[in-house]
Amino acid sequence: MIRSWTLAPIVAATLVLSLRLAASFPVYGQQTVLPAGSELDEQALVAPREVFRSEAAGGRKSYLVNLGDLAFNAPALLGGVARQAGISCGTCHVNGAANPKFFIPGLSRHAGTFDTTGPLLNPKADNGFFDPVRIPSLRGARYLAPYGNDGRIASLRDFVRNVIVNEFAGPEPPAATLDAIVAYIQDIDFLRNFSLGPAGRLTARASDAERRGEALFVRPFPHDPDMSCATCHVPSGAFVDHRQHDVGSGGLFKTPTLLNADFNAPYFHDGRFDSYDQVVGHFNRVFDLGLSTGERQDLVAYLTTVGDAERPYERDGVGAALKEIADFATVLDTAIPAHDTDVIALAVDTVDRELRELTEQFPDHKDPAVSGGQDERRRARGALKDLVLRLSRIGLAASAGQFDAASVEYRDFRNLALAAVPNLLRAAQQWSLFNPAIRDAHYGALRQMLQTANK
Amino acid sequence: MRLTALCFALWVVAVAAAHGEPSDAAVEEYRLAMIENIGQALSGARDLRDALNRQDFINARKAWIGARVGWERSEVFTSGFVPDLDEAIDAWPDANAGFHGIEAKLFGADPADAGDQADALVAHLAELDARIRTMQLTPQGLFNGIVRLAYEVGDSKVDGGESRVSGTSLDDMRNNADGIDCAYRDLFAVKLEAADKILADRVEDDVKWLKALLAVNELRSVDADSLRKASEALIVGLQAAAPELGLSAPALEEAAK
Repeated sequence: MIRSWTLAPIVAATLVLSLRLAASFPVYGQQTVLPAGSELDEQALVAPREVFRSEAAGGRKSYLVNLGDLAFNAPALLGGVARQAGISCGTCHVNGAANPKFFIPGLSRHAGTFDTTGPLLNPKADNGFFDPVRIPSLRGARYLAPYGNDGRIASLRDFVRNVIVNEFAGPEPPAATLDAIVAYIQDIDFLRNFSLGPAGRLTARASDAERRGEALFVRPFPHDPDMSCATCHVPSGAFVDHRQHDVGSGGLFKTPTLLNADFNAPYFHDGRFDSYDQVVGHFNRVFDLGLSTGERQDLVAYLTTVGDAERPYERDGVGAALKEIADFATVLDTAIPAHDTDVIALAVDTVDRELRELTEQFPDHKDPAVSGGQDERRRARGALKDLVLRLSRIGLAASAGQFDAASVEYRDFRNLALAAVPNLLRAAQQWSLFNPAIRDAHYGALRQMLQTANK
Repeated sequence: MRLTALCFALWVVAVAAAHGEPSDAAVEEYRLAMIENIGQALSGARDLRDALNRQDFINARKAWIGARVGWERSEVFTSGFVPDLDEAIDAWPDANAGFHGIEAKLFGADPADAGDQADALVAHLAELDARIRTMQLTPQGLFNGIVRLAYEVGDSKVDGGESRVSGTSLDDMRNNADGIDCAYRDLFAVKLEAADKILADRVEDDVKWLKALLAVNELRSVDADSLRKASEALIVGLQAAAPELGLSAPALEEAAK
């Protein structure tokens, strides 16, 4: 959020924006699994920050939460085109938040929306019309039942299963996997917002405009005194009422939370609005609120403050990537001794993919975008490939019933992943695609190559 | 076809040399396949250059695709033994040089602009053609190259792969697999079979599995999950084979020269 009394957030927001824009690179070509022009935003150098309730409370993520996080990021959980294209739940819900740049031609109307009943991902669920919906953030989802933009499913577990099996053509997930995904989603907390106090009221740091906006938010509608914005967006209840309403957007839709919503655009069930100003304008029109220009600005100021959060993004890099991989791999601590071959296979497959993607962050000798640090890059690539193959041996041993061998291999994997490999990767990081200059050069060269072909 | 015949002929030589013969003899025999592959790439590049000089872009595209066959089979040794020429010939992503710089123009809107790059490609391949005849080759270096290329084949190509402008990434992968198959059979298969038949059979099955997964009509039909697994199973088998072959564990990335 941009405040008038300090420039620091502006600088931070500009940095975040420029990093996100610089990294954008849609799918190109006629040989791809997804249509040309698809944008998954997987090259972004910043990602939504993920806060776990368990860790924030001073504890640790449970085995269930780590398994759920792993499954959430596993393309193997889905089926058909999604699996083939390497899409997982985490592709749309990056770190449990949303993905405002996600776009697939023919399935998205705006960036950040997606037709879950289109023909590409599960022809059996194709409903024959184009009805993309906004990809929601899952932060605070445990407080936000019922689920789906229209609130059609009461249970989060049922909703998750429907997404996997019906929307993304995945095989029926094991009950334990579903439980784990629910545990993971329920552990994703809202980001903290120091501008809100108890009962969702503004704190003393609020500006005059924000306070005027808060008063407007709870003021009865002129033509319906029983209603106000706060009637549905209950400030003391995560700004939701757990009900569906017709607000003139084409049917009954669930009240969305306003917490952390600054980072959840586009807005409304179909993502039709990009800004709070447009949202306020819609309500002003539909409910004939008679808001003046100044009142609209005050209401937007209030919404912006309610929707704000502490450090909404974090920079991607060796540290963040390795922490995620290490967290995923921890499920093997339990799964190998338990001879749980399903979980071992899921972990091997998913961590393998993550390690291979991380390897690609360190360009090889044929990449003209970078010339320095060739030895460091080689060592980093070699170390990551070594981890991939150790992981593969874990999977092969477990599938052959050789769990002792898998344990020994895993012990070595873990020691390397926690000690030697991070050092090698950090030594090479300045010549990797985690360096914005190198990344720009790499994707600039790729873009130039494709533009040369296209012009 | 000529290459397959050559591989088979070398394999026959390798069978004869399996017992007690130093692997260096097989390496020298394999050099003939390398010369054949690079010769094909060079010949294709010359055809490409000549077609471009005639403004015959249809045949220039055919020649580019033809030159890639020998080149991709040669990637068993290019990154390890001639990294400088590997970069000059096959830089990626690069719109200004090498196979992919030419590809962007030739298969795009400016095929007439690819002439200078084709001249450079011919020069680099000619230099490589000369160097491979006398360069020192080692069984370990070639073993490393097989492993490295097998790993690369297992990488995801959901973004369209290396040769996405020409739409020939699947051909690249198949030719990589052929290069792996040829090098393994000519250099190591017979010796491993003598030392550990079960392991040799496993490696051979994994090579077949890799090739079978690439026997599809188009890139998007490749089962990427299985391809990754096949690639890794092959490498794990080769890692186990290294001591049986009197070699060290394969380097997954070549040390800087």
